[in-house]
Amino acid sequence: MKTKSIIIAISFFIIVVALNSSAFIVQEKDQVVITQFGRPVGEAIVDPGMHFKLPFIQDANYFEKRYMEWNGDPNQVPTKDKKFIFVDTYARWQITDPLQFFKRLTNERGAQSRIDDILDGDTRNFIANNDIEEAVRTSNRIPESSDTRIIGDSLEKINVGRDSIQNMILESANKQTADLGLKILDFRFKRINYVQEVQDQVYERMKSERFRIADKFRSEGQGEASRINGEKERKLKNIQSIAFRDAEMIRGKADAGAASIYAKAYDKSNQSRSLYGFLKSMETFEKTFDGKTSIFISTDSELYKYLKSMD
Amino acid sequence: MSKEKFNLPPELVKILEYWRPIAVTLLLLSVLWSSIFQVSTEEVGVITRFGKYVRQVEPGLNIKIPFAEDVYKVPVERQQKQEFGFRTDRAGINTKYSKSSSSKDESLMLTGDLNLAEVQWVVQYRVDDAYKNLFKVRNPQSTLRIISEAAMRQIVGDRTVNEVLTVGRSEIATKLEELIQQICRDYSMGIKIEQVVLQDVNPPEPVKAAFNAVNEAQQEKETLINQAKSEYNKVIPKARGQAEETIQQAKGYAAERVNNADGEAARFTALYNEFIKAPGVTKKRIYLETMSNVIPKIGNVVITDEKGNNVLPLLQMQMNKKNTTQ
Repeated sequence: MKTKSIIIAISFFIIVVALNSSAFIVQEKDQVVITQFGRPVGEAIVDPGMHFKLPFIQDANYFEKRYMEWNGDPNQVPTKDKKFIFVDTYARWQITDPLQFFKRLTNERGAQSRIDDILDGDTRNFIANNDIEEAVRTSNRIPESSDTRIIGDSLEKINVGRDSIQNMILESANKQTADLGLKILDFRFKRINYVQEVQDQVYERMKSERFRIADKFRSEGQGEASRINGEKERKLKNIQSIAFRDAEMIRGKADAGAASIYAKAYDKSNQSRSLYGFLKSMETFEKTFDGKTSIFISTDSELYKYLKSMD
Repeated sequence: MSKEKFNLPPELVKILEYWRPIAVTLLLLSVLWSSIFQVSTEEVGVITRFGKYVRQVEPGLNIKIPFAEDVYKVPVERQQKQEFGFRTDRAGINTKYSKSSSSKDESLMLTGDLNLAEVQWVVQYRVDDAYKNLFKVRNPQSTLRIISEAAMRQIVGDRTVNEVLTVGRSEIATKLEELIQQICRDYSMGIKIEQVVLQDVNPPEPVKAAFNAVNEAQQEKETLINQAKSEYNKVIPKARGQAEETIQQAKGYAAERVNNADGEAARFTALYNEFIKAPGVTKKRIYLETMSNVIPKIGNVVITDEKGNNVLPLLQMQMNKKNTTQ
């Protein structure tokens, strides 16, 4: 009785330990490769849930099933147009064939260092083969500029572009990782910038560019002001001269009209002409004679002829 | 029989006598403890059985199979945010922000015309697919940060510095939101971008003054043009008025001239009509009338006959003297 219960207890213990070493849980995020004495056996387990293996002699090797991060080493890279830029990259990747992955790279750290080699190298190559604009710009879109600011906004024309370079690096890297059991899902430039030493020069260039724009604004202002001023002068002269012309024409017409009226009245006959002359000279006497005037009148004149005699 | 073998205190012996109910109670409690759980209002619970996803539960009190099932709580209703180029030190009524050198690296970026701009922005997002968020991407939060930075640089890299600083702001925010959302979808992150807000967008510190100079020059330009326009507006309407005045004066002159002519002609004609009836006497009458008007006004009237010509020089002298003394 006593030995029997001890045997039961021991065998129960063995069963529990064996079960514990046999059953294993695969999480949603995991995939597992079973190895027997270090050698992989069977297909990789990608379905989550409880699975079993031979206890003690087989091991479960867990691998991530999710997309994983890869961050490039921020590095100075010369471009084709000999500008040193600082490029920081990132990628997402995934273990697509755990068995192959396990054979080739053993674990994630091995994979990361392999991806480092491939992507950092490709980044360097593709950046070095292109001008800086190609890595910064994506498309040949036409910049929009508000109409009040007539700044010479323009973008250089690009031939390749950021998207294409990223895709080319991705493609090239995936070719190299094809037999590693992993796939690079996406590769992008995170940061591209001038290296510190160049930045100051860039600032200087930006400053001079801005000052140039400022000068342009100023001269545009002066030009526009002069134009308005000129227009003002022209209009002014125009208005004044038209007014003068019209006024003179009106006066002239009136003078002509008056002349014709006078002529019609005065020029009827010899008598009317002599009457006009007579009246005018009478008028002139009245207007011109005053206290300072001295006249000598002969007694022969019509006015005083009766002074001498009644005849 | 074992009780006699060990010298246990009597209290413990007493408890050990009830070991079965105690064990059962403890077992039940632990089963209960691991089978009942609470999901708060902003979360959902994702349940896996032996690691495999089985279901998703809503907020409230929920039950799972003890030991076999695990629960992950994901805050799907909570709006979360990431800040770029600055950090909120203390949120509140007077929110304090800080900028470190690493956040400056985040914000400094190249524009399409190879200038530099400092852009600060905020990405507001929500987990909208708990399953994907948990099981498709490792470290979705830090991945989102990287995506946002890359996307912002891609968009700014396609624009001129002027667009980035002025006219393109709202467009950049919209485009950025689209791009981040699209990349999140490609990565199966289970994240929904709610909003992208562009905060400060500035030229870098060393060139700020130059950018301000542009603004000043622009103001100057406007001022110059406005001055010219105001001068124009001062002069031209006045000139128009003056022109009108000149014309009116001319018209007045014309009317006066013609009317006078009419009047004088009428007067003359009337007189003439009478005059031709008796020309001699009328003429004489007018002459005499005029003279009798004129003579009293004249200072010196000397009446001579043809024989008195020799007095003339004498009189001349006298009159000259008189004129000078006056």
